[in-house]
Amino acid sequence: MADPILQVEGVTKTFGGLYAVQDVSFDMAKGSIVGLIGPNGAGKTTLFNVISGYYKPTKGSIRFDGKDISGWPPYRLAHIGIGRTFQIVKPFAGLTVLENVVIASLCRYPKKTEAEAQAWQILERTGLADRAHLAASGLTLAGRKRLEVSKALALEPTLLLLDEVVAGLNPTEADQTIDLILKLRDQGITILIVEHIMRVIMNISDEVVVLSFGQKIAQGKPGDVARDPAVVEAYLGGEVR
Amino acid sequence: MTNTFRKPIVVGIAALVLAVLPTFIHDMFVLRVLTESIMWIGLAIAWDVLAGYTGYLNFGHGAFFGAGAYITAFLIKIAGVPFLLAMPAGGLAAALLALASGIPTLRLKGAYFAIATWAMARALQQLALVLDITGGPDGMRLPPYLHPQFFYYVMLILVAGTFAVMWFLLEHAPFGLKVKAIREDEAGAMSLGIHPTVIKMQAYLLSTVPAGLIGGVYAYWITYIDPASVLGDLVTDQAVVMAVFGGLGTLIGPIVGAVIIYFFKTLFWAYLSDYQVLYLIILGVLIAMSVVFLPNGLYGTLTGKTSGKTAIQKGLATGTPEENSRKQGRKEVVHG
Repeated sequence: MADPILQVEGVTKTFGGLYAVQDVSFDMAKGSIVGLIGPNGAGKTTLFNVISGYYKPTKGSIRFDGKDISGWPPYRLAHIGIGRTFQIVKPFAGLTVLENVVIASLCRYPKKTEAEAQAWQILERTGLADRAHLAASGLTLAGRKRLEVSKALALEPTLLLLDEVVAGLNPTEADQTIDLILKLRDQGITILIVEHIMRVIMNISDEVVVLSFGQKIAQGKPGDVARDPAVVEAYLGGEVR
Repeated sequence: MTNTFRKPIVVGIAALVLAVLPTFIHDMFVLRVLTESIMWIGLAIAWDVLAGYTGYLNFGHGAFFGAGAYITAFLIKIAGVPFLLAMPAGGLAAALLALASGIPTLRLKGAYFAIATWAMARALQQLALVLDITGGPDGMRLPPYLHPQFFYYVMLILVAGTFAVMWFLLEHAPFGLKVKAIREDEAGAMSLGIHPTVIKMQAYLLSTVPAGLIGGVYAYWITYIDPASVLGDLVTDQAVVMAVFGGLGTLIGPIVGAVIIYFFKTLFWAYLSDYQVLYLIILGVLIAMSVVFLPNGLYGTLTGKTSGKTAIQKGLATGTPEENSRKQGRKEVVHG
């Protein structure tokens, strides 16, 4: 790959004797969307947590822009331009939507007035501006997922890790979120997305990485991966012998 | 009149009234009650900075008050340092104690932090009981400076200054948002570039230094300190009850709580002094009731500001942030 922004090299993460992620490697090209899929319990979120600094890899390394960032804590990663969202959304419930985003903006703009100005711009982009003064706990699920994305964007990331930002949304909301993701890609943000909904992954990913039982079983263009016998077996089960 | 204009006017009027009050009051008992109520306001606000805003319940708050009192007393009595120079040393002692206790304990979460700080306070009280320099259980007597108005103003300026600094940092500066982010969701805050341990340490210092300074003033004002009066449980307990009763996570809540509870206590001691043990029982019932029925405190319930409950829940949660995020990570693996 010409210019990978993220290189995952032989990453293993164990919990006690359980191999949640085992020897997974892949590269991400700058400005691409990579979909990370796999059946329940495949280790997608664990891999996500390793890349975003919540877990230290047991083995292997992660390089961002050529720099070894394995084991860096999340707050350092935020400063070098890696933003993430959480599958179980984590809004600061007692604060307003605007305050939620301002907290993230402070990472780039330490002055509160500048952070607020940036937060407003992001809320305009993600369509939450009209709800800026609402308590974050008062948002719908779609709103909270959008808020997650808004907070990650406030870090002005070059790499965005999206953990199930579409799941649980109705079709209209899902389409809006997909539009947003594609717009972000067009602005040059590289995106790694975990998603259950195949329609989303197949439509927007440039490349798909498939995990099963912690191991990478396939990687390639969405169309090719969908026809891969190993992937079909992982999702639907093998033949009874 | 809009809210932005109303607030400074209210604060201005309150400051003016408090500033001129001693010229109208010639009863030394009343002045003393006022001075002490201001002191409790300061201690309750300071406790709330860590508990209500950050979600860490410090059950060793009294240790910082006591450390400030003892250090100030040493300097005045043994080294002959003038009071106004000795007082900052009380704050410094509290800061050093905060650094020494915060670095290992602020990584802990909720209940563990509460227990660790409580244990530290008990250890410090025992230390004061056995050392020679503190006078052991006999305590220390300071050269008396019988000028109640002086202490009223020192306390007022100190507590008003504390309030102003905290208001600026927590309600105006970015620091307040970062602190609240940690209270609401520590793991989530980390992903947004916030270093939780650094922010918690700053909040811990902001909470404990005023307690140390207030302790120093108290020592010189009362002229007699002993391990039970400045390092005992009661200092922490009262500050906690006042803050929880008034409303955590706001700066006004602890003021409301401190005033109500302090005056209740004073009336109780003035008119029902034969039943002092009842006061402690009522205090205990009050804290239990306010946690159950008014988790947002009096002020929080009346104004709809609702961070008190979150703060208490976080403060009593168990498990380190890392453990909790791992637990959650596992849950996510199951779902994902």
